[in-house]
Amino acid sequence: MVIAQTIDCPACGAPASAGFRFCEACGTPLHGVPAPSAAAEWVSSSTAPQRCEACGHTGFSSDGYCDQCGQRGPTGPDHSEFDLGPVAGVSDIGHRHERNEDAFALGTLPGTPLVVVCDGVSSSSRGDAASHAAVDAALPVLRTALTEGSHPERAIARSVHAAREAVTAVAGPDQGNPPSCTFVAAVVSAGSITVGWVGDSRAYWLPDGGTPCCVTVDDSLANELIASGMPADEAHAQPHSGALVRWIGVDADDGPPKARTFTPEGPGRLIVCSDGLSRYRSAPEALASSTPPGPPLAVARQLTQLALDAGGVDNITVVVVPYPPAAPTEGSAQ
Amino acid sequence: MSPQSGFTAEVYQNPYLAAGAETVDAVITVTAGEGGAAPSPAGTPSAAEAIMIDCSGSMGYPRSRMTEAIKATGVAVDTLRDGVLFAVIAGRSRAEQVYPSRGMVAASADTRAAAKQAIARLTPSGGTAMGSWLALANKLFAEVPAQVKHGIMLTDGRNQHETPEALRQVLAECEGRFSCDCRGVGEDWAASELRTIASALLGSADGLEEPAELPAAFRAMTEQAMGKSVADVKLRLWTPAGSTIRFVKQVFPQVEELTGRRVAVSDRIGEYPTGAWGAESRDYHVSVQVPPGTLGEERLAARVSLVSDDTVIAQSLVLARWTEDDALSTQINDRVAHYTGQAELAEVIQQGLEAREAGDDATATAKLGRAVQLADESGHEQTAKLLRRVVDVEDAATGTVRLRRDASSLDAELTNVRSTKTIRVKRS
Ligand SMILES: [Zn+2]
Ligand SMILES: [Zn+2]
Repeated sequence: MVIAQTIDCPACGAPASAGFRFCEACGTPLHGVPAPSAAAEWVSSSTAPQRCEACGHTGFSSDGYCDQCGQRGPTGPDHSEFDLGPVAGVSDIGHRHERNEDAFALGTLPGTPLVVVCDGVSSSSRGDAASHAAVDAALPVLRTALTEGSHPERAIARSVHAAREAVTAVAGPDQGNPPSCTFVAAVVSAGSITVGWVGDSRAYWLPDGGTPCCVTVDDSLANELIASGMPADEAHAQPHSGALVRWIGVDADDGPPKARTFTPEGPGRLIVCSDGLSRYRSAPEALASSTPPGPPLAVARQLTQLALDAGGVDNITVVVVPYPPAAPTEGSAQ
Repeated sequence: MSPQSGFTAEVYQNPYLAAGAETVDAVITVTAGEGGAAPSPAGTPSAAEAIMIDCSGSMGYPRSRMTEAIKATGVAVDTLRDGVLFAVIAGRSRAEQVYPSRGMVAASADTRAAAKQAIARLTPSGGTAMGSWLALANKLFAEVPAQVKHGIMLTDGRNQHETPEALRQVLAECEGRFSCDCRGVGEDWAASELRTIASALLGSADGLEEPAELPAAFRAMTEQAMGKSVADVKLRLWTPAGSTIRFVKQVFPQVEELTGRRVAVSDRIGEYPTGAWGAESRDYHVSVQVPPGTLGEERLAARVSLVSDDTVIAQSLVLARWTEDDALSTQINDRVAHYTGQAELAEVIQQGLEAREAGDDATATAKLGRAVQLADESGHEQTAKLLRRVVDVEDAATGTVRLRRDASSLDAELTNVRSTKTIRVKRS
């Protein structure tokens, strides 16, 4: 299990788990505040559970179960928010689920925000363990690969590989129905945006004033049928047309992620999200017209609230990246 | 899974429970040395072997019984690895050391030859007190530092020359000190005695049709003992607060009740002995009663680990999930169902044979009929064949049988001693 990432307290500089709401040293709120200092390389929504919801006990085994009553503790908090400045995101449990099985990680390289969002497959066991392990493994690899000069698509492929290994590791002794998750990553640099994905978590490009589009193509049965020549309306009418055909998990194929790189013609925003949002605003135009202007964290919060108000039947994760990326706060030139 | 240790533990269960349900059953398959190579994390463990040969008077009738026993003991001695400590004990009303004259000696060409000379001089005379044989083996084992300590005990009769209480006492002293495989030859041994000894000492019990089978049986037991590569493995069970362990059983390759053998490690954790392991696979059935959870909740009902030297070498999780979906909660895992049937099979065979011996033909017919039905359903051909030695089967599917008047005591004891042997679920 990856140790929860630390960020530095914006007030006193003490290291703190990114999953904590308040600094343990001085009590300052750690989130909902502007970007942590540039020393924070990346953050994620992973955090070990603090207290068993069933019995109140505070000890959990490394496999995530309460030492006292055996209740499975959540792998991540019900709600988390991060704001790194050029990129911000929100994840919420929604109204219907027992656990938040979405996970996300944000990072930055100078002038290049990085995003990984994973959605635990709810029909698998411990989907949250998969999604958290995946984002925690993927983001640092993505970062390192880019630092080493890999093309963003290649870097995302390497991060998917790392996510697969991490999900395999958490599968442990599980039988038949191993933990699995979707994956979408984005690298937003000054000249281009690259998105790579496995599954049905999405990225939308919303240009300021232009025609919005969905950058990703869901790895769904319907799209598979369309790709093999079936007319779209017929494919969508098939039973289980929305079923995932690719995911990250021991029981999944290990081919490379699909990827797209494009150069926007002008400024806009990239929205990376789980289907907890896209199920309510699937069409790019619908999402664009629901996305207000504003700083990334405020926009992510409003889109999350939109999904909650629409029913919130699934976990919701929304990450917002303005393009072109905000200038790096520290001038560590390349 | 723990590839480094060479052990794997896989769980088979239906984790889904209906609202208010409390019982969680799982079968755990533990495999050591998959792919043939025995795991030996710290090299081959040192071993010691004690061979206890019944030399009571009845071993002389027929003569072949003693001569085959002598031959078999020689084969066992020849099968020992060089350097393995060993001793041969003659069992009568008292135990007497045959070779070496005291203590144990390392196997070599010289000691094997000397042992075989001493064994050849064995003569049948006197009575049977198995507790005294085991007590001597225990004393010899206590004096040597070997990691794997194994005994072979051969008898042709009942434990007539000591009280059952005396045998129980010795077994309690020997438990956990060494393992022991027991074999009966001839027609007068008691399956229940052999099973009691083998169970307590984590070994196997069986009988032989003919004295001529002895050498092969002794070779097999010795080879198996020499193949043990991890000494003293324990099954560790974590269960949640408020739960009750209904039972813990080994269910393959034979049924062994482990429930009462728990050694508490902490409030939540207990350990059960499984003895030494070579390249082999065993199945365990764990049944836990947990406090009912709320719908949608997932709880750990048990964490099952294999532990050697206080290190976890394989682990498996038994889960409980409460659901409103009857289609999920009403399914019974096929392995759990299979072993529930295999355990009942062993029980009804033993009860049926006991009733038969007590002259209660009605109970014997009902129990053995049920056994025939269970053996037929599960495809347990060996047991079905044995049962046909004690009953005539009219209809296996309904368990309609008649007791055979011509069944010998060997037929009954063999059926009894092998009653606990199970088969794995047949892939359909
Ligand atoms: Zn602070
Ligand atoms: Zn608890």
